[in-house]
Amino acid sequence: MASLKKERANRIERLRMDFTETEKVILNRRSVRLYTKEAVPEFMVKRILEAGRFAPTGGNCQAWKFVVLRDPELIEAISETVVKICKIFKAIVDYRRPGFFWLRPIANLFIRRNRNDLHPVPFGAITMLAERKFTVWHGASTVILIFMDVRGVGTPRLDCGIAGQNMVIAAHSMGLGTCWVSFCKPAFQYTNKWKKRLDIGYPYKIVSSLAIGWPRGEPEGMVERQTHAVDWFEGGEKRVIY
Amino acid sequence: MGNFGFFEKRHIPKYNDPDEIKPGEIEVDVDKCSGCSICVQACVVSAIVMQAKRPVMLPPGRNECIFCGCCVAICPEGAIRLKSPYRYTGLYKTIGHGEPQPPRL
Repeated sequence: MASLKKERANRIERLRMDFTETEKVILNRRSVRLYTKEAVPEFMVKRILEAGRFAPTGGNCQAWKFVVLRDPELIEAISETVVKICKIFKAIVDYRRPGFFWLRPIANLFIRRNRNDLHPVPFGAITMLAERKFTVWHGASTVILIFMDVRGVGTPRLDCGIAGQNMVIAAHSMGLGTCWVSFCKPAFQYTNKWKKRLDIGYPYKIVSSLAIGWPRGEPEGMVERQTHAVDWFEGGEKRVIY
Repeated sequence: MGNFGFFEKRHIPKYNDPDEIKPGEIEVDVDKCSGCSICVQACVVSAIVMQAKRPVMLPPGRNECIFCGCCVAICPEGAIRLKSPYRYTGLYKTIGHGEPQPPRL
């Protein structure tokens, strides 16, 4: 018993000095958007899926379906569908183009209906995708589509997110680059083509996707990020820490 | 609660107005920069362009720098520094953000 306590005290001392290995993986990981064409070995992708399989879920419902895409032509073809949809969206809502200021009221209607997908950042990305300034999966050689089982326990969408983050962290610890790509959604929301082609029906619904590949350059390392106000209740009073 | 005014949360900001949607900002150390342009390729939102062999940001209103730090992380010379984070208003008002900090022990 005493040794256990001592062991814990030692551990706390070590923690004060440095981040743990897992923390380093988390803090060093960055979303990679520059990939080489090199293929990811099959066993590595399977290992990544294992990390996802062991994610915690509500009621252990494991309400997901992963679809692995490894054919560049297929990935390219789905991208193409997304680009087409983005072109339509750009035509309807992009009032930032010179001479199109009158589109703003229409765009605002859309934004009010869909404030997440038409947030300023994806709004800009829609235009860039339509203009082919980048591709949906940034040229990654492997893509994992994440679908949720809509009958899951509690918050199945969140469970898919947890599984995905497990996979992303596992992949990073293997030296792979990853990126969460939710721009795959239009290809499954607004058309039936890819649902049919990939044989996805009820009860599955698209959540997001992961791009996985070998990164070009060295996009690693800790960078600065905004701190956030955290309310802290202790000793009968409230503090705000950053 | 106290975060929003009645009209504020109903106001959709004008996306190309830097007063309403202020993008993040980076700073490039021109002396350290070798002009390899990998930051331009790495930039998520294509907010960086090369000008006279040095990266410069597009002016506010034409970029959506999201302060992700991709350029900072990928720069082999360590020549890029994050300067000021984004600040949105109206419906997308930035709430509860403090000063940027690296990971703290």
